[in-house]
Amino acid sequence: MGLKAIARKNAIHAMLIYTGGCNGCDIEVVNAVYSPRYDIEQYRVLLTWNPREADVLIVTGCVTWQMVEPLKKIYSLIPEPKAVVAVGACAINGNVYKNMVGEIGVNEEIFAPVDNIIPVDAKVPGCAPRPEDILMGVVKVIPKLMEAP
Amino acid sequence: MEVFLKILIASILAIIISVPYSLILPGIERKIQARIQQRIGPPILTPGLWAVLKFWYKKDVEPVAYLPKFYKSLIIFGIIICIFLFLFSTPYWWQILSWGSVLGLIGMLKLEEFLYVLMGSQSQSFLSTTMPVPDLAKGAKGIGIFREFVEQHSAERAIKMMAVGSLPLYIALIVPFAIAKSGMISDVIKIQNPLYFNSSWFSLPIPSSPIIFTVPGFLSAIVYFIGYVILLNERPFNILKAKVDVIEGGILEYAAKLRAGYYIIRNLMLFILSSIFVTLFIGIPFDPFIPLCMIINIVLSLIMPIALSVFVAFSPIFTFRQIYPTAIGFSAIGAFALIISMI
Amino acid sequence: MSKKIIEKEISIGPVHPALIEPYRIRFFVNDEIVEDCEININMAYRGIERLLEGLPVEKALLITERICGICSNVHAWNSVRVVESGLKIEVPERANYIRVLINEIQRIASHLIFFGHAFEVIGHETFAYRSFLLREVFMDLMAYIGGNRVMPSVPVIGGIRPRADLTDTLKRVILERVNDFEKKYKEYVDRILADPMVMSRLTGVGYLSKEDAIRYHAVGPTCRASGVNYDVRTLMHEYKPFDFEVIVLTEGDNRARIVQRALEIFECLKIIRQVIKNLPEGPVVNRNWTIREMPFTTAYFEAFRGELMHSYALDSQGLIRNYKVRTPTPTNLAAMEKACIGDHITDAVVTIASCDPCLTCCTRIEVVESGKTKVMSDIEIVRKYGWRR
Ligand code: SF4
Repeated sequence: MGLKAIARKNAIHAMLIYTGGCNGCDIEVVNAVYSPRYDIEQYRVLLTWNPREADVLIVTGCVTWQMVEPLKKIYSLIPEPKAVVAVGACAINGNVYKNMVGEIGVNEEIFAPVDNIIPVDAKVPGCAPRPEDILMGVVKVIPKLMEAP
Repeated sequence: MEVFLKILIASILAIIISVPYSLILPGIERKIQARIQQRIGPPILTPGLWAVLKFWYKKDVEPVAYLPKFYKSLIIFGIIICIFLFLFSTPYWWQILSWGSVLGLIGMLKLEEFLYVLMGSQSQSFLSTTMPVPDLAKGAKGIGIFREFVEQHSAERAIKMMAVGSLPLYIALIVPFAIAKSGMISDVIKIQNPLYFNSSWFSLPIPSSPIIFTVPGFLSAIVYFIGYVILLNERPFNILKAKVDVIEGGILEYAAKLRAGYYIIRNLMLFILSSIFVTLFIGIPFDPFIPLCMIINIVLSLIMPIALSVFVAFSPIFTFRQIYPTAIGFSAIGAFALIISMI
Repeated sequence: MSKKIIEKEISIGPVHPALIEPYRIRFFVNDEIVEDCEININMAYRGIERLLEGLPVEKALLITERICGICSNVHAWNSVRVVESGLKIEVPERANYIRVLINEIQRIASHLIFFGHAFEVIGHETFAYRSFLLREVFMDLMAYIGGNRVMPSVPVIGGIRPRADLTDTLKRVILERVNDFEKKYKEYVDRILADPMVMSRLTGVGYLSKEDAIRYHAVGPTCRASGVNYDVRTLMHEYKPFDFEVIVLTEGDNRARIVQRALEIFECLKIIRQVIKNLPEGPVVNRNWTIREMPFTTAYFEAFRGELMHSYALDSQGLIRNYKVRTPTPTNLAAMEKACIGDHITDAVVTIASCDPCLTCCTRIEVVESGKTKVMSDIEIVRKYGWRR
């Protein structure tokens, strides 16, 4: 392991982008950061709000129409190497909003699976996933960051 | 020639020691805050050393700015300013062109503050006005009004902070010089630590009468601390990079190597200002050729960052409603200390 | 009043540290002072009301619970109450008690997340961390009772899920945790109220007068902090057996809105204790009902942020028709926009946070510039011609 990999392993800046959905996942991610019980910082993950600073993009929520462009744009702003973690059933498959439609058939508002829009490296299922799982998801993308040139 | 060589070696030593050392400080700061907040917090090297190295190894991207080249060069200016600010306070630069004086220090600090104005006016982050959401829809309020980037607003705030916010630090800086009745750092050391000037390389000159233990010195040390917080833009005086509206201010668009540079500037300032404090108020300069003296300076300069982190953990962001009275009040205390020191 | 000078616009969001949810605030400022502001809430539009059209009412619970993740139980319960009152389904007493219990637990969790958010916006990280630590107690209790930290899914038509029944052990655990919590929470509140720096940020900022609160129809804690005594819980028969007070403060500033919620948590604790003490024996769910045609029925409820309305009708096959949800935040929006005029920008963000917007649930209709063609539905028509509150 070179210095590069060690440095990347030891400081990870994660950015949260919330793209619609019900707030549940969003708050669990915030919980993973702000609740001293989970305290994501002890695993060397620091929360940031600036795409220029981030390595890991945590996407929650079913991508609604208005959030598609911001999501793409923010992804493009993160400097390489970068990784994306999709958190929650909404981000993975659209959850009830996409799959449990009544008479309208197809819900056009939801652009849900996040990997339709940007490449996803880790998926954390659950509605809402527990903070431990979110930590796990973030940790799972570290090898990708470390191996990147 | 020999003098020149000595200065060169001393400067290189000073830089080599201070830059890596300053990278530990944010970790200590973060750890103390985390302990106050009843959590474990990041490992000590993470926010400083590893973060800088990581940003260094990231792929470069072009910042979005009015003048990208100028915007990028600001970081280099910043590092140069920081390093010179530090060197002016080390003994071997004291003789040169009287840089080692109150004027040299204050001039460099002013430049450092001005950097934020330039950065803020350049950066055009995507997080505010240019976000692609249809907010100028039919019937929306205020169509046609000039839309400003948050960074430019941050630059305006930086100007205000330059006007009022930096007063406490400057007034507190002047007090030791007023006590010494001279503008030079060497005279300030002379009245506190006369042994220093004829000590050999292995000795440890203990200051006989540190300024901090006099009444004006103590008052101005408190004022210096407030000024330190203001100059570093930490809470409660971080209005120019308040997370709630301007996010990070002018530094928003720095990525990869430039961001590493910004981290270095910030950490260096954290160390340099407290090292200057130890030099001026306790009388132990950072002298690379007297190792014990240097080590004591380094250890004592932990006081300020530790006090800062405790202070930060217990304070909210101030708006200008609170900043003006606070800054002016502390300046008044500083001025009072200045007056007693003159008597 | 002097004439307004609007110098420039500063817009923040939808991706921004101060607004975790996706919405956009456009401040029209004169130097630092906010002269006018506009909150755009349409980023989280998912078309919930449209999705529910034609779903069987039992299934609808899954979606209504996911309207909002902070007040999931409120939406689930209220949508169940509509059928129960429309079809006269009887709810066992024990089920009702447990519904109240989980609701109050979630109310406390919601208020604590409000503290966390508000203090994060004020910039006081330590208080934010403390409040998230205190909140863990109630997240745990929700997980014990319902099985999930966020979506406990307790109410079903005719009662509660049998899984959520309270055993004696659980009762003891709840009581222990609540007692423990109250002690720590008291210290926390005292500490906040004694902090001069935080109080100087809050006092006298974001003033909303009683007249304005009534005129803009503020609801929930926002109006109760401005001196309007209005709480739907006092009118609900579910809350008849319990004894609690409605906290009304008259100051109407940010401090009052925070203190109001802080005091309300003590009332919630009171209710939780009463539930545990007087919990009646008996079944927890009543299965003797059939879904049949139901006329348009409405149910009002006191959600954590104010008055909530759900209303729908059932057709002859028991499918939902015309689901309407009116959540508290849209009615508070106008009050929020009013309250932050005349303050610094940094304070205005706090004001908006102190009204505790929860915009996922209130987002309903969006205004779109022309140029996008889609299959027409009623929402599309609204889209085309624009709609503003
Ligand atoms: S996955 Fe579930 S909890 Fe998460 S945003 Fe979607 S509905 Fe909410």
